[in-house]
Amino acid sequence: MSKQISRRDFLKLATAGAATTAVLTGCGPASRYVEREPYQRMPEYTYNGLSTYYATACRECAAGCGLVVRTMQGRAIKVEGNANNPVNLGKTCARGQATLQGLYNPDRVENPTRQNRGAALSGDALEWDAAIQIISDALKNTDPAGIAFLMGMAPDHLFDLVSDLAKAIGAPAPLRFGALGMFEARATLGRAAETMLGRSAMPFFDLANADMVLSFGANFLETWLSPVAFTRDFSKMRRGNPKRRGYFIQFEARMSQTASKADEWIPIRPGTEGLVALAIGRLVAELKGGSVPASFSSVDPLEVASTAGIKLETLEHVAQLVVGSQAPLAIPGGAALGQSNGLATAESVLALNALFGNFGIPGGVFLSPLSPNQDAYHRPASAREMTDFIAKMEDGTIKVLFVHGVNPVFELPASLGFAEALATVPQVISFATFPDETALASDYIFPDHHGLESWGYQRVVTGSSQPVLSGAQPVVSPYFNTRATADALIAAAQLAGGKFAEAMPFADEVAFLQGKLAALVGEPDGSFFAPEINTFTAYFQQHGGWWMTAPALSSPSASNALARTVSPGVAEFAGNGEFFFLPFVSPTLADAGANKPWLQELPDPTTTVMWNTWIEMNPQTAQVMGIDNDDVVEIVSEAGRVEAPVYLYPAIRPDVIAMPFGQGHTAYGRFAAGRGTNPADVLGVRFNEAGDLAFAGMKVEVRKTGKKPQVLSRLESRIGVYGEGMGEEH
Amino acid sequence: MTTELKIPEYKLAEEESGKWGMVVDTDLCTGCQACVAACAMENNIPYVGEEDAAYGRSMHWIRTERFWEGEYPEVRMTDYQPMLCQQCGHAPCEPVCPAFATVHSQSEKLNLQVYNRCVGTRYCANNCPYQVRSFNWRDYQDPRLRPEITILANQFNPDVTVRRRGVMEKCTFCIQRIHKAQDLAKSEGREVEDGEFTTACAQACPANAITFGRIDHPETLVSQLAHSSRGVHHLEELGTLPRVTYLKGG
Ligand code: SF4
Ligand code: SF4
Repeated sequence: MSKQISRRDFLKLATAGAATTAVLTGCGPASRYVEREPYQRMPEYTYNGLSTYYATACRECAAGCGLVVRTMQGRAIKVEGNANNPVNLGKTCARGQATLQGLYNPDRVENPTRQNRGAALSGDALEWDAAIQIISDALKNTDPAGIAFLMGMAPDHLFDLVSDLAKAIGAPAPLRFGALGMFEARATLGRAAETMLGRSAMPFFDLANADMVLSFGANFLETWLSPVAFTRDFSKMRRGNPKRRGYFIQFEARMSQTASKADEWIPIRPGTEGLVALAIGRLVAELKGGSVPASFSSVDPLEVASTAGIKLETLEHVAQLVVGSQAPLAIPGGAALGQSNGLATAESVLALNALFGNFGIPGGVFLSPLSPNQDAYHRPASAREMTDFIAKMEDGTIKVLFVHGVNPVFELPASLGFAEALATVPQVISFATFPDETALASDYIFPDHHGLESWGYQRVVTGSSQPVLSGAQPVVSPYFNTRATADALIAAAQLAGGKFAEAMPFADEVAFLQGKLAALVGEPDGSFFAPEINTFTAYFQQHGGWWMTAPALSSPSASNALARTVSPGVAEFAGNGEFFFLPFVSPTLADAGANKPWLQELPDPTTTVMWNTWIEMNPQTAQVMGIDNDDVVEIVSEAGRVEAPVYLYPAIRPDVIAMPFGQGHTAYGRFAAGRGTNPADVLGVRFNEAGDLAFAGMKVEVRKTGKKPQVLSRLESRIGVYGEGMGEEH
Repeated sequence: MTTELKIPEYKLAEEESGKWGMVVDTDLCTGCQACVAACAMENNIPYVGEEDAAYGRSMHWIRTERFWEGEYPEVRMTDYQPMLCQQCGHAPCEPVCPAFATVHSQSEKLNLQVYNRCVGTRYCANNCPYQVRSFNWRDYQDPRLRPEITILANQFNPDVTVRRRGVMEKCTFCIQRIHKAQDLAKSEGREVEDGEFTTACAQACPANAITFGRIDHPETLVSQLAHSSRGVHHLEELGTLPRVTYLKGG
């Protein structure tokens, strides 16, 4: 009894691929049955009443967490994290758990559909043969320069396939986009890494081994980059080392869910994050004695404190804490980068790390390793690149647009004009699994399977010190008459013949995957070894991917970072309103969770609101304006307006208004459509120096609407916002 | 001739140690709701929709509580506190049930809810100081009332009863998982080992804030954590003998 046995021991991995159930790939003449590989050795799998477990990869965001799905008699019953996958080590986030409600969602696109850009799903079903013919004709009869592919941030194997196809036929390379990438300002992070860390890569923040964490707006416990990995690392930072408890300070204008876990939340004025980082650096350098690098000596802490709206003592106190710590770490992210000075802010925070001397040491800053079959880090498109893309749609360059895994009509700010531009594209073909806004605005929807019905892989961008390629396999057979987009494209290219067929010489998606995995066959330092491709693929499915066993972080050099002078100044704000506008991604819904009823019914961690959108206001501000909880107010920016009920949020600066992103769908199924509003409707077309959207760079007005209050459904009403009703003291 | 009557020794509930226990480290909980979603998926818990949720009818078996302290700029949020059935050794919900639907299990030392005995008086929920019981105000899982259930039900866990209107429910410490592990252990002629399985919430929690296991053995992780100096039992003063220990503070 005293011996602890871990789940990892318990779920003994099979040593030989015990072949079990098979699924059909594709539907055309080339389709064949491919075996799936269960996670456990289960000789008794054929018994009724016993579950079979399959390893796969989560597709609810691009982090690439490994899953093990419990299935029973052909149904997916429960999702758990894959204990062996280094990204998530057996854990999942709430969205990963609820992925089953996407699989068994009542509002999926059930058949290939002639949509004709209607307001609702047309229901005009086609045969798959006709669908393949349409794709094939679109490829063959269009000048390759006029063919465009717009892809989501997952899955990577399909992006690879489309990249290969585009290259072979002379079409422009596919573009990838996702709202999470936009709100994470990934282009800014990549560029800051290039200038300060020497390479355009995803920085790796070794949160687990830090003991003093300063986060400048990074929402790493919510949806940021790889939330499950960051949450685990946060837990280790806090209590992983019995000798110390890691300390955590968050600088941001509104107490986010991440900031709510901080020991100190310091509400600085938006747009001053870079200055604050430099001022702390200066104070730290002075406390330590010795020279103060140029970037830091150029700021005056007293002036910075007053610009940021805090006290000088606060900065001095933070500097003292840093000096007294062993492993300080500063993380830039979130709204701090979505500002006109976002790039300089990110650079300032990286420079602060250089000053801490933590580059390449435990608890410090590294560069994330590339995934095993990856040549270089590819970030998703920035909002400026999307704007260029929209211009190409408008000027008629794009004749045929293929869309997969992304919903730009909903995700991009309305002011960018994606929807209007889409209407001018002669032919739009969507591969959406759900009837989202972009899919409805297409000529055809040729639905892909749900992620749990799909093959594939996802590259892990950050979250593990090891290079990881997470592998996906269908855990159940497709529920509807859907088809893997990879299979549809392969079949269409072969039907088109010539260079198209030459570009896609694969029997099916699985054959394509095997081609991409071939480079790893015989590789000795991985999670498993296989001498030839079929064994490799079987193990890859069974284990849920392949990863290197040793860490492969690279250490940047600090000398460049300190030599460079950065001057972030204060961000510019567009518009004449009285309030800073701070949109943030809903921690529970993220960009695509609104169609799953249990994600809707999860209370937002800080406000406990369910099923709706709210506008956060400081109670004192609201009182002055005569606004109460649940009053519907209108937010007006230079770009648009949006309405929602007010939530009096105790932990937000009086000059800031915040609003979650994730609701406000006009389509996307019964649970999402017509519910809440979308803050992207008031965002203007402003970018930072790296081309990311300055989504937090707006000033807005708040107007009372006089409409009758709309009571927000919140879990705290059962227990009281200030603890009434529980009779318990805290 | 006299027969020796063996009268079993009478023990107050409070004297019996629990068998299964849980420790929640609130310094680690990030309020992420993964446990809430995992619990809903594992236990076939219905969502009730916006309006019923606003009436306080949501069915979460586990919820993360948080409270505000002070006012801006001196405002603070307490740690998130995942609140679930405390599996009280001396449970206030049990004696008030006229139908014996909420009873104490002698073998598992858990507080059971027998759905097919429940007649929906809701006395138990009134008497639960932790407010962790939820009531099926409607037939939320009936496809005749909610057509979408027909497809969503594919995901239902076959090991867990789907409840109907008029029935009370609450966290069971994932008793179906306990039973499964016991069945397996029995077939192998051994006892269930600590760590052999865990509850859905603990398994999902990315912060490792929840630890579940055999609290009746001093060497298990959960026992050791439960004896931490940071440990508190909520509303202990009511004499409920909770089996969930919260680790508080920094
Ligand atoms: S972090 Fe992303 S990949 Fe991981 S479980 Fe959550 S949604 Fe899935
Ligand atoms: S899953 Fe863990 S960290 Fe998240 S709310 Fe639950 S207990 Fe807290």
